[in-house]
Amino acid sequence: MYRAAVIGLGRMGSTFDDEITRGGSIFLPYCHAPSYVASPHTELVAGADLHAEQGAIFAERWGLTGEQIYGDHREMLAAERPDFVSICTTARHRAAIIEDAIQAGVKAIWAEKPIALSLAEADAIVELSTRNGVAIAVNCSRRYSPFLSEARRMAREGELGELLQITAYAECHLSHNGSHAIDTMRYLVDGDVDWVFGEMESDEEAAGEEDLKGNGYLAFDNGVRGFIRAMPTGTAQWEFDLIGTEGRVRSLANGADTQFYRWVPGGLRDEGLPARAPFPLPLSIQGTGLTVIADLVDAMETSSEPRCSAEDGRKALEIAIALRESHRQGGRRVDLPVADRSLRILSVEIGGDAVPARVRRLQQEPAAA
Amino acid sequence: MSESRFRAAVIGLGRMGSTFDDEIKQGGQFFMPYCHAPTYTASPHTDLIAGADPHAEQGEIFADRWGLERGRIYADYREMLESERPDFVSLCTTARLRAGIMIDAINAGVKAIWAEKPFTLSLAEADEVIELANRKGAAIAVNCSRRYNVFFTEARRMVDEGELGEILQITAYTQCNLSHNGSHAIDAMRYLATGDVEWVFGEMESDEKAAGEQDLMGNGYMAFDHGARGFLRGTPTGAAPWEFDLIGTEGRVRSLAQGMETQYYCWVPGGLRDQGLPARAPFPLPTKIPSTGLSVVEDLVNCIETGRQPRCSGEDGRKALEIAIALRESHRRGGQRVDLPLADRSLRILSGEISGDAVPARVRRMQRNQAAG
Repeated sequence: MYRAAVIGLGRMGSTFDDEITRGGSIFLPYCHAPSYVASPHTELVAGADLHAEQGAIFAERWGLTGEQIYGDHREMLAAERPDFVSICTTARHRAAIIEDAIQAGVKAIWAEKPIALSLAEADAIVELSTRNGVAIAVNCSRRYSPFLSEARRMAREGELGELLQITAYAECHLSHNGSHAIDTMRYLVDGDVDWVFGEMESDEEAAGEEDLKGNGYLAFDNGVRGFIRAMPTGTAQWEFDLIGTEGRVRSLANGADTQFYRWVPGGLRDEGLPARAPFPLPLSIQGTGLTVIADLVDAMETSSEPRCSAEDGRKALEIAIALRESHRQGGRRVDLPVADRSLRILSVEIGGDAVPARVRRLQQEPAAA
Repeated sequence: MSESRFRAAVIGLGRMGSTFDDEIKQGGQFFMPYCHAPTYTASPHTDLIAGADPHAEQGEIFADRWGLERGRIYADYREMLESERPDFVSLCTTARLRAGIMIDAINAGVKAIWAEKPFTLSLAEADEVIELANRKGAAIAVNCSRRYNVFFTEARRMVDEGELGEILQITAYTQCNLSHNGSHAIDAMRYLATGDVEWVFGEMESDEKAAGEQDLMGNGYMAFDHGARGFLRGTPTGAAPWEFDLIGTEGRVRSLAQGMETQYYCWVPGGLRDQGLPARAPFPLPTKIPSTGLSVVEDLVNCIETGRQPRCSGEDGRKALEIAIALRESHRRGGQRVDLPLADRSLRILSGEISGDAVPARVRRMQRNQAAG
């Protein structure tokens, strides 16, 4: 059993699963503490958070003693020597804490997304983790969805023919949930992006560093073309459409439905028809978080890259930044990699992060009572 | 509705002018009669009275098929226009000659023109035809026929009456050359989204194609003036053939597989975190399915009588061409967004259908068969 610790004991670190009443894009256990508790590979041994209220709730919920909760993550790393560390703090401090954890000798890091705010931070993480042989899985969790990984298997084994197009309708900020959307597009297409064209929601938003919505056109190195609409999507919510010459998979309504179409004889002028066939059901569906942990265990033991690696996290961020650069440059295509590594997006989740949302609520309740 | 019947003539007596409907075995994208001669024959508003084609073989087949005397078939369309004084003229020749013939027909005093697509090859030609038609009061309907397809008109009605909420996105997967069948794809996007395109970004199939004037495949992103955004994939589409996806805040319509299926989704309560769910509901079936061609003729008759513009007007034809050219310009400029309208009106696309047009395809086949036999 690996010793696992969580840094950042708020929503993603601890209680996110309480909000989820339906499967589809994720299955439970999904977030960090419940996954470590449920996994046969790990035991949850410690938590760290600057805010004592978070630590108290965490200890009580997951059966840890007060000594296992630390105000300083460095102290926790030194005292507990965990094998696994989850990074569930605000993204503002993620890169620095990842570096501290690597320096402290952890074997595996399960990091929330986005991996970092700036490309320079992401570069440092990728370089340091590679040098120290630390496996990092970024929690772009659709890579661990049984439906999307089945779609990827179909694509890889040629069941969809030659891939042509990936379309995503995913209303989101490009760094925050955009890291999910962009990573899923890369995952399904199994390619890298050579260049992009992007349009942001406004010139003002594009000029700033705050997280923002936008649309984009992505040219992949394997010839596939991508279109992402992250501006409001109305009735087409969180949808991925993977189109090949012989088949097509559509993931609809935030993963609640997955459709498979294959090309069959017939149709107008006998050109063929897209016929809907049952999407292959997985043999078993386990919690998304358990799949991440199993993947990290495999990565540690075989020195392979996790399914959603730090490199994948960096590429999602770089594509988001390139889409914004395209708008900033007056609407022109932007080649990857992006030369200026100081570029960053202040992911929307860091807004008001001096005090965690739950602590703010706790502070308001006595005042209201 | 008019009591009088209009005199209709066809110029260009090949596939679209005469026999295209023979190829069609399933409805959806088209309903019969669709092409020009069978429509004029079936319409209560028109009599087919003449045809013109420089190739005698085409004229003979046309006369036999549609019961015209040889004297009503002309090699020179100018002579036909002068002798027959038609009210309606269909332009089914190669696109290379279309603008010139439209100008001659308007100057000869025709009331209505039903023109094949693309409208013209160059923007300058399109400008000239529209200016003349407006000045002379001739109605021009361009045969971007999805505007006359009852499933598309029902989708458009849903948009106009707010049943889809605010329109956000129109996506088209339509493998095509951007002038030839791209004129259908781009026009259908404009029709469904109901707005005009302010700027585009485009990627063509290759730098070489983008540099030339030949018709070409490409993809594009379009910014509409009312805020909707469009994505067009005109490069190969594999298992997603001729599909339009119209997405609004309250509803969505998808036209699939060349119009063979139309899906409607509406927003209902439920879903993860009670954010709502897109539920598939029956697409409203029309009370009747009119023929595509008869709908065009009906529209033109109404335009003649009221002076309004046809549902797919010369202006719509020009805009489809201008968007296609702007997509190519975007690629030519290294992948830059291009604002509309385009300043350089000499730009053109040599539509895919004009290749080898010195001799019509059917005449070439007849000559080959004779040589072989």
